[in-house]
Amino acid sequence: MLNSTLEVSHLCTSFFTDRGEVKAVDDVSLRVDKGQVVGIVGESGCGKSMVARSVMGLVKKPGKIVGGSIVLNGQELTSLDDKELCEVRGRDVSMVFQEPMTSLNPTMRVGRQVQEVVAIHEQVSKEQARQRTLEILSAVGIPEVEARYDAYPHELSGGLRQRVMIAMAMIMRPSLLIADEPTTALDATVEAQIIALLKRLAHTGTSVLIISHNLGVIAQLADYVYVMYAGRIVEKADVCELFDNPLHPYTHGLLGAVSSLRSQSKVLQTIPGVVPNLANLPAGCSFAPRCDRCMAACDSVRPELVTVGAGHELCCHLTKGVDVL
Amino acid sequence: MRGNATTSLLRRLLYSLITIVGVAALVFVLLRMVPGNPVATLLGERADAETVERISSSLGLDKPLPVQFADYVLGALSGDFGESFTLGKPVVDLIGPAFMNTLRLAIAAALVAWVVGIACGLFAATHKGALVDRLFMGISLLGVSLPVFMVAMLLQYVFARYLHWLPVAGISDWTGYVLPAIALGWGSAGSVARLVRSSVIEELQQDYIDTARAKGRTKRQVLVLHALRNAMLPVITLMAMQFSGLLSGAFITETVFSINGIGRLSVQAITGRDIPLLQGTTLLIAFVIVMGNLVADLLYGISDPRVRKGV
Repeated sequence: MLNSTLEVSHLCTSFFTDRGEVKAVDDVSLRVDKGQVVGIVGESGCGKSMVARSVMGLVKKPGKIVGGSIVLNGQELTSLDDKELCEVRGRDVSMVFQEPMTSLNPTMRVGRQVQEVVAIHEQVSKEQARQRTLEILSAVGIPEVEARYDAYPHELSGGLRQRVMIAMAMIMRPSLLIADEPTTALDATVEAQIIALLKRLAHTGTSVLIISHNLGVIAQLADYVYVMYAGRIVEKADVCELFDNPLHPYTHGLLGAVSSLRSQSKVLQTIPGVVPNLANLPAGCSFAPRCDRCMAACDSVRPELVTVGAGHELCCHLTKGVDVL
Repeated sequence: MRGNATTSLLRRLLYSLITIVGVAALVFVLLRMVPGNPVATLLGERADAETVERISSSLGLDKPLPVQFADYVLGALSGDFGESFTLGKPVVDLIGPAFMNTLRLAIAAALVAWVVGIACGLFAATHKGALVDRLFMGISLLGVSLPVFMVAMLLQYVFARYLHWLPVAGISDWTGYVLPAIALGWGSAGSVARLVRSSVIEELQQDYIDTARAKGRTKRQVLVLHALRNAMLPVITLMAMQFSGLLSGAFITETVFSINGIGRLSVQAITGRDIPLLQGTTLLIAFVIVMGNLVADLLYGISDPRVRKGV
């Protein structure tokens, strides 16, 4: 029996624009095991959402998967046509989007939007589909489901809408749930509730790939974390290892930018500069222009992912020195 | 919520009524302010002053304006809009059949406009940037900008005079409606096509389209089941307003194709200084336009749940 739910190897997704090829995802490999919660963390524009869209087969033009493989439950997805992918989407892999305000169809009752997923993938009676919809809606913690079933999205709060999105994603019991910034648009208390809900789902055996720029969310949910920068994986490690022993200067920067009750410094750190233009990346390490530990090699030689500990890999020239940080 | 909707519907109906009464008053006053005596026009140049006076008085034109208006409104409420000066028949009997002719023409024109407009708009939207898209949009621009009489005469020349497929003018059976309907609906088809196109393109960029795709819907299903309905919301409003426009704006088409409709009747009334008839047709057109706007608003409210609540 297969152990991994999702295995992405050497995935490359590019956008072909007037200014040339933009490598949004550049040679990314990642793996999500059964029942595991894997996080991808990085700043806006670093390609994390594009990994998710590539897995869903929903990369919009002029974007295109140009290389690599995506294997879900032993099935290669990159060679499927759209019709075959439609059977996989929603049934085996589903997705929760960032913006619950706009991710639901404004003129369709929410119950029908959830029920639609069943209608697409299974031949069941309307009554059965409705029953299952009501069950999943109450399972994700929506009160008074009978009344909410007939509500329109604008009649629900942001938190309830995101619960509807999660219900929609979970109704077919997919083996993989991708959550792209599921709490970014919500306020803090609602965020905590949604995180608790996702945690509960992960315990029922569904693998989760969670994407966030928020390390707090990642720390609470993920078992294993990938740090992405400019379309590439720069560090990956078990969640405890990453937070205890971050090695990449970028990971350091991200951690320094998080406020914590226990942190000693009063001022949050920032990472100077912005994510580089993906159409025009530096020859060496893409983080070099923003890195405070940049060396001569960093500007000219691109580092590769190297194992530095148990399940801990790093893409940085600093690994060569013994005294890492 | 329901009570709110009813009040707001009543309020809108009241506004519509006020508008129509206002139009009636305005038309009434304006027509009497126009220089020249309608009775003199009616009787010809050789009529003597005494006769003109006698006839004016028999028509009630010598009474003070407010009295005349009150008489008119009272009559109108009981369905009496006076008698045409030039045709000697009750205005109602003249307007009735003419309105039916115009209604048939407007329905035919709307069918042309909407079927062609929606089909072309959808096709252009789903083939955005392709040759067909640019071709359709070019043609629709032509549709919006070409004057009706030119389209009408072009159609007459090609299909009636040159190809002999359809009658040049007049209505003897349904074939008589084909050319006028195209001429009248052509411009509307252009604006519907443009709105459908931009509206569909905009809807297809919304986040919920991604959600529907992530559920496993194909592109075509997403278009038909999710995007189309929402994209049609602004189009419905446009269509409702267009229909009243087609009903009231057929002057030129009716004249070119010799159709005895409201437009042609109005033109006759204007040239003959036929005040009661002109009042009747103008009031009818005002009524049609006000109702068209009301229906457009109501339809929008019914079809969009976000608006429905607060109508």
